[in-house]
Amino acid sequence: MLKSFFKYFFMVIITMFVFFPIVWLVSTSFKNPVDMFAVPPIFVPANPSFDHYATLFFEAGIVKYILNSVIVAVSTTLLSLVAGTLAAYSLARFRLPYRMNERLSFWVLSTRMFPPIVTIIPLFAMMRFFHLLNTRMGLVIAYTAFNLPFVVWMMRGFFMEIPEELEEAAMVDGDSRMSAFRRIILPIAKPGLVATSIFTLILSWNEFLFALILSQTRSAATLPIGVASTVTQYEIKWGEMSAAGVIAVVRVLIFAFVVQKHLVRGMSFGAIKG
Amino acid sequence: MQTEIKANMKNVTKRFGEVVAVNNISLDIKEGEFLVLLGPSGSGKTTLLRLLAGLEELTEGDIYIEDTLVNNLPPRHRNIAMVFQNYALYPHMSVFENLAYPLKIRKRSKEEIAKRVREVAEVLEISELFKRRPKQISGGQKQRVALGRAMIRKANLFLMDEPLSNLDAKLRVQMRAELRRLQKSMGTTTVYVTHDQAEAMTLADRVAVLNNGVVQQLDSPEEVYFHPVNRFVAGFVGSPQMNFFAGSYEEAKIKTDYFEYPLPPEVVKKLEKKGKVEKIYFGIRPEDVTVSKIEIEGAYNARIYVSELMGAESFVFFTIGNSVERFLSRTSPDFRGNMDESIWVSFKEDKIHIFDYDTDAAII
Ligand SMILES: Nc1ncnc2c1ncn2[C@@H]1O[C@H](COP(=O)(O)OP(=O)(O)OP(=O)(O)O)[C@@H](O)[C@H]1O
Ligand SMILES: [Mg+2]
Repeated sequence: MLKSFFKYFFMVIITMFVFFPIVWLVSTSFKNPVDMFAVPPIFVPANPSFDHYATLFFEAGIVKYILNSVIVAVSTTLLSLVAGTLAAYSLARFRLPYRMNERLSFWVLSTRMFPPIVTIIPLFAMMRFFHLLNTRMGLVIAYTAFNLPFVVWMMRGFFMEIPEELEEAAMVDGDSRMSAFRRIILPIAKPGLVATSIFTLILSWNEFLFALILSQTRSAATLPIGVASTVTQYEIKWGEMSAAGVIAVVRVLIFAFVVQKHLVRGMSFGAIKG
Repeated sequence: MQTEIKANMKNVTKRFGEVVAVNNISLDIKEGEFLVLLGPSGSGKTTLLRLLAGLEELTEGDIYIEDTLVNNLPPRHRNIAMVFQNYALYPHMSVFENLAYPLKIRKRSKEEIAKRVREVAEVLEISELFKRRPKQISGGQKQRVALGRAMIRKANLFLMDEPLSNLDAKLRVQMRAELRRLQKSMGTTTVYVTHDQAEAMTLADRVAVLNNGVVQQLDSPEEVYFHPVNRFVAGFVGSPQMNFFAGSYEEAKIKTDYFEYPLPPEVVKKLEKKGKVEKIYFGIRPEDVTVSKIEIEGAYNARIYVSELMGAESFVFFTIGNSVERFLSRTSPDFRGNMDESIWVSFKEDKIHIFDYDTDAAII
């Protein structure tokens, strides 16, 4: 009894702690400038205003940012998943000489060990050389490069959980290695595939640093940049910033809610033997 | 009808780095036969089977299936069927889909697939399971589905890797009998891997006993049991194990540390023919050791270590002379002995085995 009281007590505390910024963000996005800085703070504005949202959509052209974000995130996810899944399968299954499987896998992971910012200047130079600055393609390439290790490691883990005998059975039954992979292994690894793509999608959706450096103009800039652009030289447009933030968060929230089932399944992967 | 050769291995070797899993094996698999590969863990049984299936690449040698050289053919072009130890049923498919899979890959019509699946399911009595997933059926049922998936198409060769080892003892005996009937009625050429010698004895037309990647003996179960070619086969086949005594041959007698055994004249003749034989192993199966509580002419005095009543028979462990080692007699359940009781043991003359001490090869 006391134990469960404490359990719920802490859960409530933590939930409040996590939720507070989001609640504040949402409430700020509906406040007029006077309420915004009121002391004591107002949590639920008396007469909510939609001005900030209107400004974003009709003046600041946030639609373009959203579009860029969607295109970049989706392309990145598709690209990293196709390349990463195939690489992961090879690393999980084929025996390379000199324990190269382990070494290669570790090397793939090691590219995630340094902070991304140290690569930004060479990356910028390369992108400029290939005329990929301020293009969505440039962002997709950069994001894919940084998401691949993650995809490879996640998927390699999932594939290693699947007994090798399943493909062997399929190959004896008449499949080639590739069709056994497509018809037997991929369907079994689906929860893992879904979970990995969700993480990749969220990661590229929220990415800020690369986007800031590689896409300055509106032709490629993503939503986080759009949000940040409300911080101008002269003032911080709190209201618009909050509204843009809400738009960015809400999409991820809805998305996460929809795919929650897969996320949990993907996490508890491994009970498929037999 | 003349027996045809279905598949053929010539000087097949498989190495994994330093490990020689299969060492220069040559063997024929005859049309319609049930060939059992028997051997202890790590003897290369699975590797040999996987080489046949094309799941493992040859290091050296040639494999022919139906007179076609298949060395470089992927599994799907060898027209073989395989039952895996853990069944390897596709977990995301229903039992029906599992059974249908090999035909589906071959793009057979829906009607044909349904018809064939129903036929096979009827034979194996798994028709009620069609809608279930592999997770939702018992071990014995999984076993049948795996068997059904292999039977669904007319394969050249049936390969089975310890298909019964995951079942409980009772079901294993039952499935063993069913397997045998099924194989005989369908006439499929089958290669079956096991380390259980009882399975080998009951199922096989021929048994290939493997050790360290080498075929020790390839013969009918009777031959392997009654005339093992070396000490390894003698010891591995038969449970409980054959008793071995190290000793020497002198003047028509076997001398061991514990007793002297006068050999019958035919045996002596055979031994003399072999030329110089000195150090040997004397072997006798437990069922060929008779025990008695009263002294018999020519029997040896022994002491009961422990006596176990198994129901249909009795196991009498005994020490002989001053031996530390224990030997075993398998006798009728009527024999009841107490610990440390003095008994007389004798060996059935026509059932003795003599092996060369150095080479382990059978002399008698
Ligand atoms: N993929 C592999 N890599 C390295 N060594 C292997 C591999 N597969 C088998 N071996 C080795 O080859 C030898 C034979 O193995 P194999 O699996 O054929 O034995 P087995 O007779 O089937 O044994 P068990 O009864 O335990 O299944 C063993 O020493 C094993 O360690
Ligand atoms: Mg094995």
